[in-house]
Amino acid sequence: MSFLKASLAWIEERTGAMAFIAPLLFHHVPRNAKWWYVFGSATLMFFTIQIVTGVCLATVYAPSAAQAWESLNYIDNEVPMGWMLRALHGWSSNAMVVMMAIHMLQVFLHASYKYPRELNWITGVFLLLTVLALAFTGQVMRWDQDAYWGLGIGAAIADRIPVFGDQVRAMLLGGPIIGGETLNRFYALHVFVLPGAAIALVGLHMVLIIKNGISEMPKPGAVVVPSTYRKEFEERMHTDGVPFMPDAAQRDMVFCGVCLIGLFALAAISGPIGPGGMPDPTLINTNPRPDYPFMWLFGAVSLLPPASETAIMLIAPAIGVLLLLAIPFFSNSGERAPSKRPAMVLLAVVTVMAIAALTWEGTTSPWSPVMDGWSSLPTPAKFTRGRTPLEMQGAVVFQYAQCRNCHALDGQGGRRGPELDAVATRLSYDQLVRQVQQGGGNMPAYGKNLDSAQTAAVVAFLATLHPSNEPDSMIPGAQLPIPTGSAAAH
Amino acid sequence: MNSRLLLASLITWLAGCDRPGVPHGAQPVAHDSLAWTQSAFNTNCRGCHSQGAEGAALPLMNANYWAVATDAVVIEAIAHGQGRSMPAYLDDEGGPFTPAQIVSLVQGMRSLWGAKGSATGGEGGAISPRVIAGDAGAGAAVFSQACAGCHGPQGSAGSVIDPMYLRLISDQGLWSATIYGRSDLGMPSWSQTMPNRPTGLTAQEVADVVSFISSHRGIAQKASDGP
Repeated sequence: MSFLKASLAWIEERTGAMAFIAPLLFHHVPRNAKWWYVFGSATLMFFTIQIVTGVCLATVYAPSAAQAWESLNYIDNEVPMGWMLRALHGWSSNAMVVMMAIHMLQVFLHASYKYPRELNWITGVFLLLTVLALAFTGQVMRWDQDAYWGLGIGAAIADRIPVFGDQVRAMLLGGPIIGGETLNRFYALHVFVLPGAAIALVGLHMVLIIKNGISEMPKPGAVVVPSTYRKEFEERMHTDGVPFMPDAAQRDMVFCGVCLIGLFALAAISGPIGPGGMPDPTLINTNPRPDYPFMWLFGAVSLLPPASETAIMLIAPAIGVLLLLAIPFFSNSGERAPSKRPAMVLLAVVTVMAIAALTWEGTTSPWSPVMDGWSSLPTPAKFTRGRTPLEMQGAVVFQYAQCRNCHALDGQGGRRGPELDAVATRLSYDQLVRQVQQGGGNMPAYGKNLDSAQTAAVVAFLATLHPSNEPDSMIPGAQLPIPTGSAAAH
Repeated sequence: MNSRLLLASLITWLAGCDRPGVPHGAQPVAHDSLAWTQSAFNTNCRGCHSQGAEGAALPLMNANYWAVATDAVVIEAIAHGQGRSMPAYLDDEGGPFTPAQIVSLVQGMRSLWGAKGSATGGEGGAISPRVIAGDAGAGAAVFSQACAGCHGPQGSAGSVIDPMYLRLISDQGLWSATIYGRSDLGMPSWSQTMPNRPTGLTAQEVADVVSFISSHRGIAQKASDGP
């Protein structure tokens, strides 16, 4: 024991390390800083896991467009516990984004960003951006269909930038299209640039925490007055604070431990994320979607009115980031208690609900066609009973032409187009023919895919789709009897 | 103590081999089980060939069908498609199945829905418009007796001599519609009692009536018929 002490003293004398480490470990934190304050530590723990598992993965992963996908399957199936490594890296990435969002929400609700911690908040915003960039580039590392189409969407957004669109896209992709160099570019970002930036920002964030101290739990009436705050805060910490180690650290450790167990359980149960199908642009029978941290963006972008896309995709993110950065400058003094800041609480609640709702929309993506709807969803019995042979053939054509992928019958099928249960009450026979042949309103034209007999049959079937107690469409032209036989040909 | 036990069991479980998250690798999907057949059917066939009144096309959960159709006929239809509305399902023709999977699918469907003791289909499978030549003149008489009650000019079930309909269905399709029927939709099978035909139809009569119905196709449209 004395040898150990002597060795430490030997090192301490030559480096002064304790002088650096001691304030990190034993700086005083507020006594009332209880379980609210564990989220930042948990985020840091997940980041550490990302670094460790990421370095391990980098020893096997082949960052070349030709081999990346295979090397992931190799890690999953051949490398001992390689699947676990990928599962940990993937789920820890999601967990890190979630934990970071919770940490940010807590800081926002408690107004911890007020004087003197404005820069803590701003470094945190940059950390958020860095982590999201890591998550996006990490998704590209999988080099599967999701990665391919995700990149395609990213490139399409870059392409919309006025004047410099082409150049920005070329810089992003390493050429005009997604190719071999694209993966190398994102690999360099994912393993060198962004982790380096994140480590530097985490360091800065920590230095600021030590310098400015951990904020106390907000109390109504305990207002922040910049001119006197620092002096009073330091006095309170001196008299009433507790050392970080062990008082606060033990709570952090318990929470991190629980998170770690949860992470391992999640990894063991859910397994590695992807890789999905081969990144082959000719495979269109795919339903690509981003990872969870971007699902809300996917939902938002998908639901935008087409005319507003460029403006919202390019300007909204910039405004959003600027607003986040500006928060501590709008109000860096005054009340911190949520009960005294109802508007801010409302803003936080609305933001969380909007992100949750958009994530739900993105996950279910009702606007995507149901690719196997035509071959897996039978025609509801109520629409086949009492139909003529031609109408029944129309029901077959309806399946064969894959109408069902976008149009639901009896609640089953795609939701991209309108449900057709009662289409005959909305469109006359002539309008049905026109809609099938020429498309319109987001529907492709089927005039070249279906010949006159197929069109006549499918329209004859569609014309039967109305409730039995409601007549056919009353739109002019609907009163004409449905032509049969050669009358409808050409 | 309890928490240590919990932790130990958790670690044991995590270190064990039977975690649901372990990827299964790229082994070929086993396709020899009835569960596989059912799931392949549900994804690829059910849209048109469902049971009950749901199927817009010929229902395959139908013992009548399996009693007549031979494996070879069904395999052929699945692999290369049939008529105007049945696409090819063979991987070489853009479909999802390998030849071995199609054979498994057909055998699986037969054991799921075929009557017991019809392992390879009855001899009726050999009977098709390609084997028995029909006589349209004789078929006209059969049609007026057996079919016209529902499918004639005054019939409520809709015309089967509508040229538009006939452009979409092959002779084989007419044949199938006649001999298997759609009992779920009120159309009897050829072997069952029909209006005015207590004994059903003979194979020759089916050939005749198909020939009669088929004769209403315009000559120009013959070329677009399926096999």
